[in-house]
Amino acid sequence: MSLQYCADPSLLHGWQWLSCYLLTPKHQLFYTSFLVVFALLAITAPVVLLLGFAGAMAKRSSFLPLRWFGSIYTSMVRGVPDVIFFLFVPIALDQLVEYARHKIKCPDITAPVYQGSDFIVCAAAKMPTSNADAWVHQLWGFSLAVIAFSIVFGAFAANTIHGALQAVPHNQLETARAYGMSDSQVFRRVHLPQMWTYALPGLSNLWMILVKATPLLFLLGVEDIVYWARELGGAKTSYFEYPHPDWRLWYFLALLVFYLLLTWLSGKFFARLTDKFSVDKSRSKANSIKPTLIGIGR
Amino acid sequence: MNSNTGSTGSVPVIELRNIHKKYDDLEVLKGIDLVANKGDVIALIGSSGSGKSTLLRCANLLEIPQQGDIIFQGQAVTWGKKKGQRTPSDKNQLQQMRTNLSMVFQQFNLWAHMTVLQNVVEAPITVLKQNPAEANNRGRELLDKVGIGDKCDQFPSQLSGGQQQRAAIARALAMNPAAMLFDEPTSALDPELEAEVVRVIQALALEGRTMIIVTHDMKLAYDVANHVIFLHDGVIVEQGTPDEVFKNTRSPRLQQFLAATGQEG
Ligand SMILES: Nc1ncnc2c1ncn2[C@@H]1O[C@H](COP(=O)(O)OP(=O)(O)OP(=O)(O)O)[C@@H](O)[C@H]1O
Ligand SMILES: [Mg+2]
Repeated sequence: MSLQYCADPSLLHGWQWLSCYLLTPKHQLFYTSFLVVFALLAITAPVVLLLGFAGAMAKRSSFLPLRWFGSIYTSMVRGVPDVIFFLFVPIALDQLVEYARHKIKCPDITAPVYQGSDFIVCAAAKMPTSNADAWVHQLWGFSLAVIAFSIVFGAFAANTIHGALQAVPHNQLETARAYGMSDSQVFRRVHLPQMWTYALPGLSNLWMILVKATPLLFLLGVEDIVYWARELGGAKTSYFEYPHPDWRLWYFLALLVFYLLLTWLSGKFFARLTDKFSVDKSRSKANSIKPTLIGIGR
Repeated sequence: MNSNTGSTGSVPVIELRNIHKKYDDLEVLKGIDLVANKGDVIALIGSSGSGKSTLLRCANLLEIPQQGDIIFQGQAVTWGKKKGQRTPSDKNQLQQMRTNLSMVFQQFNLWAHMTVLQNVVEAPITVLKQNPAEANNRGRELLDKVGIGDKCDQFPSQLSGGQQQRAAIARALAMNPAAMLFDEPTSALDPELEAEVVRVIQALALEGRTMIIVTHDMKLAYDVANHVIFLHDGVIVEQGTPDEVFKNTRSPRLQQFLAATGQEG
């Protein structure tokens, strides 16, 4: 989808030049890479919620090993800088998968996989396979990123949800029991609905951090918006069709605006959600700026 | 349906026998007997920490007494063991008891995420499996009856304390219980709001509802109860009709207590 007058860029000036420049195939790749960010968020967010619930339930379990697992999972992730985790998990997963494939596909190779500091598997075990298309590589990198994001943010979500479940006033649950509800009814009808009030501030915060962490995709070799901004913004000599000086400042400014817009919209969305789930209706309606969520619902 | 019609005159609605309750080393109840027949209104009085709430909570098994029997409409609660602790072994029986002994709490404890009407119909629908439309109709009637029919769709936090407590009473009534248990239903209220709630309780007494009421309000006890129990340090020190207990007080303990509350005679 290129405009008619774009046939010979060297003849173009002003806004015509700009419009043609902004529609080059590479720029179109830049625009679609925004979808990568949204895809990451769209896949990660529900998985994080699920893992968060699972982690929280594990921490509350009456089964000791499960409780241990929940606590170890959440406290381990909490104690490590995110970036380290994002670097570690994908490489570890990558090597784990390749190691497994190596054992299955090349059983006759007896040389150890770790030779000195090198990790060497047979060609057939490589992930993705060496003849795979570029998009397979991208997808593989993206999937590893999703897993890393999910594990890290799942642990945070587990903490938040666990705390929120604890925060529901005991008398609300006891009353439900006093009226004959079974444990599962108490959980579904009272505990869970009231939990959201206490979990939403934390989860909304978590979402913001998740959004702001998406450029880490770049770190994992995925061609995301940061990759393309650097790529396109860098100075282009007259050797290129559309030569220009170093414009990275402008490209990164565009990313800045994009993230600001995204977090601002998210903030609005969560404010509405918080309002909806707020246990204390009178307070949240009157105080539209920031609903008070703690210390309510006796 | 709820089986509050099963009790013929002779079988007490609820009977507690030799109830002992300990928290760690602290023995809070030291062998309490209590019988509530159909239509009885029993007032439990006593100073703070004497074990009134604990006794009431034992009656619907929110607390499990280490010793003693609880007999609901002629059926003794069957006990099992879990982690070395005595627990009720029959889930159905437990549910049957709890749905028939509706509790009204000092702090109202309305479910904060539900409207007033939802609070009232919640247990009838989820526990008693009543038809939602019918439950809603009856819920509205009950809210009308306690004088807050116009608050159906409000949330608890939007109501005054007195209105919340009346909503909580409507919620208890919606279970069509064999007996109602009140734990200081007016203690968290200003005198003005207290009067609203007392009126509702008096109306229920006149209807012949079976009730056990823990209260600091001696006037309420005198006016509505047909039997008053004075609890001190986990034992029943004195009991009888309101006139016996308040006008012909025998034990020095109770005399002291009544003098201290300034409501003697
Ligand atoms: N869950 C608990 N764990 C430990 N001790 C408890 C518990 N609940 C009550 N107690 C103790 O048991 C005693 C009796 O408490 P209870 O609440 O039954 O008194 P009460 O007569 O209702 O007093 P009040 O008039 O202040 O409500 C008190 O000493 C209290 O500290
Ligand atoms: Mg009490």
